[in-house]
Amino acid sequence: MNYPVWDVAFGAGLLIAIVAITHVFVSHFAIGGGLFLVLTEKKAYREDDASLLDWLKRHTKFFVLVTVVFGAISGVGIWFTIGLIHPSGTSALIHAYVWGWAIEWIFFFLEITAALLYLYGWNKLDRKTHLWLGWIYFIAAYLSMVVINGILAFMLTPGKWLETQNFWQGFFNPTYFPSLLLRTTFAFALAGVYALITGTLQKDLELKGKIVKWSVKWIIPAFIIIPIFAWWYIGNIPDVVWESARGKMPTATQYANSILIFSALTFLFSLLTLIKPKKVPFALSVLIFLLAFGTMGSFEFIREAIRKPYIIYDYMYANSIYKDQFPGDGGMSIQNIQQKGLLPVAKWAESKEITSENQMAAGMEIFRIQCQSCHTIDGYRGIRKVLVEKKWSQTAISRRISSLENMFNAVMPPFAGTDEERETLAAYLTTLAPVAPEDVEVTDIDISGEVVFEANCADCHEYAASDTMFVSMGKYDFSEVSYLITRLDSLSEEMPPFEGSDAEREALARWIPVQFK
Amino acid sequence: MGTEIIIPAIDPMPLPAPFWLFKVLLVLTFILHIVVMNFMFGGGLIAVWTRFFGQKNDKDQRLFKDIVPKIPSLLAATVTLGIAPLLFVQVLYGQFLYTSSIIMAWPWFLVLVLLVLAYYGFYIVSFNKDKKSRSIGWLMLISVFFIFLVGFFYSNNFTLMNTPSSWAAKYFHDPSGWNLNLSETTLIPRFLHFLVASIAIGSFLLIIIGLFRWKREQDYARFLIVRGGKWFMYATMVQFLVGIWFLISLPRELMLQFMGGNMLGTVSLLISILGGLASIFVMSNGIRNEDPRKPAIWAMGITGIVVVFMAIMRDILRTAYLSPYFKSSDLVVKTQLDVLILFLVLFVIGIAVWVLMIKKYFFTPSARAAD
Repeated sequence: MNYPVWDVAFGAGLLIAIVAITHVFVSHFAIGGGLFLVLTEKKAYREDDASLLDWLKRHTKFFVLVTVVFGAISGVGIWFTIGLIHPSGTSALIHAYVWGWAIEWIFFFLEITAALLYLYGWNKLDRKTHLWLGWIYFIAAYLSMVVINGILAFMLTPGKWLETQNFWQGFFNPTYFPSLLLRTTFAFALAGVYALITGTLQKDLELKGKIVKWSVKWIIPAFIIIPIFAWWYIGNIPDVVWESARGKMPTATQYANSILIFSALTFLFSLLTLIKPKKVPFALSVLIFLLAFGTMGSFEFIREAIRKPYIIYDYMYANSIYKDQFPGDGGMSIQNIQQKGLLPVAKWAESKEITSENQMAAGMEIFRIQCQSCHTIDGYRGIRKVLVEKKWSQTAISRRISSLENMFNAVMPPFAGTDEERETLAAYLTTLAPVAPEDVEVTDIDISGEVVFEANCADCHEYAASDTMFVSMGKYDFSEVSYLITRLDSLSEEMPPFEGSDAEREALARWIPVQFK
Repeated sequence: MGTEIIIPAIDPMPLPAPFWLFKVLLVLTFILHIVVMNFMFGGGLIAVWTRFFGQKNDKDQRLFKDIVPKIPSLLAATVTLGIAPLLFVQVLYGQFLYTSSIIMAWPWFLVLVLLVLAYYGFYIVSFNKDKKSRSIGWLMLISVFFIFLVGFFYSNNFTLMNTPSSWAAKYFHDPSGWNLNLSETTLIPRFLHFLVASIAIGSFLLIIIGLFRWKREQDYARFLIVRGGKWFMYATMVQFLVGIWFLISLPRELMLQFMGGNMLGTVSLLISILGGLASIFVMSNGIRNEDPRKPAIWAMGITGIVVVFMAIMRDILRTAYLSPYFKSSDLVVKTQLDVLILFLVLFVIGIAVWVLMIKKYFFTPSARAAD
């Protein structure tokens, strides 16, 4: 809207996901791993175990190479990437929390310095000073999470900030503490997961067994506690938002299921190592590593998915449009755009008005400006495969565009634009896939019930045995179905009223009973 | 289409502290970043040069061995110190920087990939015990080249950010982010200005290592200081030519800012020229001495002052470039005083802890041997 849209053919969202998930998997290790280093060092001194200490020195090198290099650069990488893909959202987070970021930077600076001195200090410093550096490292790393967690949680549950725009109210938002504890616990688990990687490579079997047992002690308790904090976390997310992950939004539900599977498997395979700790193969530690990665990745995906359609909940949509009008919004609110049109309001639109010559170019531009922060044509969340499958006519596409906000627990923002722009976008989308021949001519006399169903109901329902709501319609005849359609909104709270014409209602009512014959 | 000038609207959220405070922090943290970056990049360049074109004597070999282990930590410091100015520049000039970044999105994104690769390259070289192997030299060269590219992409973005009139044509021609700012006449001289400065200031890495070694092995330490001093002098001499090229490549009204148009800009340029000449003079006399330490320290001190004025000039130039599109008075300020105070308090504590860490690390007598 306010900024040009970076046209990433394979998917801007996918690029963010790749950078962000690999980063969090390392950054949480950077925190838990810090405490692991210090406590393992103390353990080695206490038990006077020179071989454990030797391994720990090598493990420190691995730790620094992973966290200080990849962890730090990918952290900056998220910032770069969201700035390129969600510039308005990034700008909002920077403006609201610049002092938070600046404080985080102080901790980050201490963290990096301490990590390097801890690594180089192994052969230089006395035990006490070395351990002291380790503690400074862990405390600084943890505090940096204490800060970032506030801003991350804010995006999903901004709470009272929406009314007051107060720093602290946004920072200590409803999911702040459960999210912090959830991340803390996971960070400790990851310390064990990563230690298994270097630990299982040891040739000395006594040492290997000891490292495996010690590492698993970091994983097992964490995975017992994680569900408790997860439950607390979910409890602080508004019910209507969480419903997305409970069946209303297919992808979020999928991630919610995969997090259960991944975490259960991480837990079980970690337990398995205790049977014969000395004989744990390297491959098993890699498997546990990948399962833990799946757990963390699923968590981040759920968080991102249920936040949809927003980038900052109830404030800014994922496509950078403000949910409400307010002074200084630059006209980028949904209300203003619906009134004045997307192309005249968007700063980076080449076609400012739609003519018969530029219709396709304008349609493509509307897609780029409004849809492409999440969708692509052929890549991630690609739109063509949906169109190929559904074979919708332009009318059907246009209908769906006008009711985007009803789709899958309101996962999409409403279309922002005029009727003409909607038709232009629909016309452009029609060119991406073949249209079913019977749907091409839609007249008042001969309306296809299937088309009406696709346009009005198919966002949430399927004409399949798995959809209980639809199956329940089987017992009604034409006139009863026709009547029910007029009062859909009284059937359940979540059903919107039917918005089609009378002719369309009748076509739909004729079509539904036929499906059960 | 493509000829219009599009400037994104200012973020509606107020600025959480006065403009001047962000400006001071921006310039200050930029100076810290650029100096450490110069040490890393310039030091790396000198190391690579010595490796490939140096003499086969012991001293040149040692020079390479002594510099390369310092590069990874210097890169860590460069990145870490770069975060702060990047944060503050986004607060003040986000509408310009986000746009130019998006226009050249892929090169800007590649910065991250190049940094990770260079970083690991530096670490491999640094951890390699036998630094004589041929592949180590090449790996160092490739890693330094990646940093060179990062710098080049930075120059592209920070010149593009200043010239909104070129945005629309570039973006609408290719919205997929495969743009650079090669048509900008100031790009090459500006980039060279930074490159040559990196060599000049990177030479201080040799001098500083020399200063620390002086008591233990004076002969080698003297070699380092003299070698560093020569790199510094030649680079600074070249800088006079590059600097003039950069200055005359600027649009006339911007160039005149430094020739009477802007008092601070003009004074800064004068101080920088005089400082540059003085540092060359002091260094060239100093390295002929048996003990070149004092003059070398003086030359570094003078250069430090020059860097501060250069950073001020850079800011004046940006302000002048953006003056048709941006007025600081357009920004609404609503200071978050409590958080600001917390930041300042933590900043002071942070510096104290940092100094304590460094002190304990470098100045605690090594007890490991007795451990």
